Amino acid sequence: MNMIEAYDLSKTYRTRVRGEGLAASARAMFRPVYREVLAVQSIDLVVPPGEIVAFIGPNGAGKSTTIKMMTGILRPNSGSIRVLGLDPVRERSNLSYHIGTVFGQKSQLWFHLPPTDSFTLLGRIYDVAPGVLKKRIAMLTERFELGALLDVPVRKMSLGQRIRCEVAASLLHEPEILFLDEPTIGLDVVVKQAIRELIRDLNQEKGTTIFLTSHDAGDVEHVCRRAIVIDHGRIVLDQPVKKLKYDYLNRKIIAVRFTEKHDLKTLPGIEVQKTGGLGSRLLVDTRIRPIGEVMSWLVGSGAVADITVEDPPMEEIIATIFSSQDEGGA
Amino acid sequence: MPANPQGQVAVPDHKRWGADRGPVLKLGKYLAIAKINLHQAIVYRSNVLGGLLFYALFIFVFFSLWRAIYHGGEVQGYSLRQVVWYLCITELLVFGCRTPVFTQMNEDIKTGALAYQLIRPCHYVAYQFAGAVGRMVFNLVCFGILAVVLGMVMVGPLPDYALTKLPLGILSACLGLVINFFLLMCLGLTAFRLEENGAFYLVYQKLVFMLGMFIPLEFLPGWLQRIARWLPFPYVAWAPARLLVAFSWPLFWQILPLQVFWAAIAIGLSLLLYRQGMRGLQANGG
Repeated sequence: MNMIEAYDLSKTYRTRVRGEGLAASARAMFRPVYREVLAVQSIDLVVPPGEIVAFIGPNGAGKSTTIKMMTGILRPNSGSIRVLGLDPVRERSNLSYHIGTVFGQKSQLWFHLPPTDSFTLLGRIYDVAPGVLKKRIAMLTERFELGALLDVPVRKMSLGQRIRCEVAASLLHEPEILFLDEPTIGLDVVVKQAIRELIRDLNQEKGTTIFLTSHDAGDVEHVCRRAIVIDHGRIVLDQPVKKLKYDYLNRKIIAVRFTEKHDLKTLPGIEVQKTGGLGSRLLVDTRIRPIGEVMSWLVGSGAVADITVEDPPMEEIIATIFSSQDEGGA
Repeated sequence: MPANPQGQVAVPDHKRWGADRGPVLKLGKYLAIAKINLHQAIVYRSNVLGGLLFYALFIFVFFSLWRAIYHGGEVQGYSLRQVVWYLCITELLVFGCRTPVFTQMNEDIKTGALAYQLIRPCHYVAYQFAGAVGRMVFNLVCFGILAVVLGMVMVGPLPDYALTKLPLGILSACLGLVINFFLLMCLGLTAFRLEENGAFYLVYQKLVFMLGMFIPLEFLPGWLQRIARWLPFPYVAWAPARLLVAFSWPLFWQILPLQVFWAAIAIGLSLLLYRQGMRGLQANGG
């Protein structure tokens, strides 16, 4: 059975239009004017068990709306949706026992209390038997290295520590599907990597299906096997990350700063985007020129003071996808 | 559709621990919610200090006022001692046990935070109530002790007080707290429909204040009393305080059914507003 099956799924919001001026406000009191917003337009989505899906798109593309329909918070206008064979809206409570959620921006832990208390409460809310819960907490504590954090009030934790606790909290009831909404937002590189590994391992060890939204190309590249790109409520791309990586995630941005003034000559596969004073910003096509090669080339070109390597922002990648889609369609 | 004939997934046994085991475990879930709220209130006990100070000041000012007004004897059946104890109790119930339920509802609905509560297997309204009970237990103890101390210091114990009737007064106080909580929840839930609902809260607060919290209902003119008795507001503070300072069986049998009635109405209306609001939310988003 597929974990998620959605066919021809659409969602339209009705929002109230507010006119300008007193007269418009007075009119709106008696006869409100509504405007229809097409948030999701006829999308098809099938996720088999054990898949790790990245669900990406710019702000307002329809990501949250889709997740809300999958978790039973929003009722679709048309189309059909089944999550674990259940109707999410009608059987929301039943479904909630089988899905876990982590919202990077919204904590499910009690801010002033140590995470143990939140874990115990969540265990009760999800009706996990006390004996089982104890074992789960012990297992997750070990796996997520939370030993030293169990007695620390959440408000005293760093963001990285908190997110580790958040992910652990969402797994107490052993959900079959885990929804992660921007799980690595605001984290530093090392912590990001740790969280990504945890998610990957979870998928490999337990076969948990993972549905992840992110703005971070790194999350998609390092965690997911399949990427779905949504824009203006429509799915514009649905393919394995391997292919996406080859086509679109092959660029890195290198910011370099030299100790003295220097001229950089461009090479094939390296585009100098910006240069001024001692610093430069390069866009590297790693298919043509692997990162290691670029590094030694830079070091060879002068005395380097600082180098950072970054993924291009998700917006840029999506823009590239769109432009290539347009070319393909034309 | 590749689901089994019931259209449901097979659920491993260990995950069905509570789901099928009846109301006792369901209650256990909400007790756990109350417990964590109590725990958090105890951890942050210093929060309560400002409230206690304000409470003591308020009681002292009104004690001075009543002392200046009373020249021995009774007013509408209340002696000075009774009226001071009355005030200690109404302030305890309304001010000491206040919960941020109205602001919480408003915020959850307007910011869309409600959505995150919906993905858990527990009822949102019950979740809020259980949480409030946890916090109230802590406040009842803190403010209750202070109320007793202040009453004893300022006017001393009530003469011939029937301690055996105390539990009945406490029952009425609990009902008062329930009515207050769910009426405030109803007001908060109007945020589903109305963008600006702060005025309701203000009006409600003032009504509870004037119809029983600040002075006994009996002090009001007859016509106003008669109207007030048909409204839910006096059953928040006046009814329990009256029963606690001057218990009588006829009054008890008059008040209690009305309190139960208003509690049922307030709870029913909250659930109805919540269900309606949810439908709108599911249709139109946050």
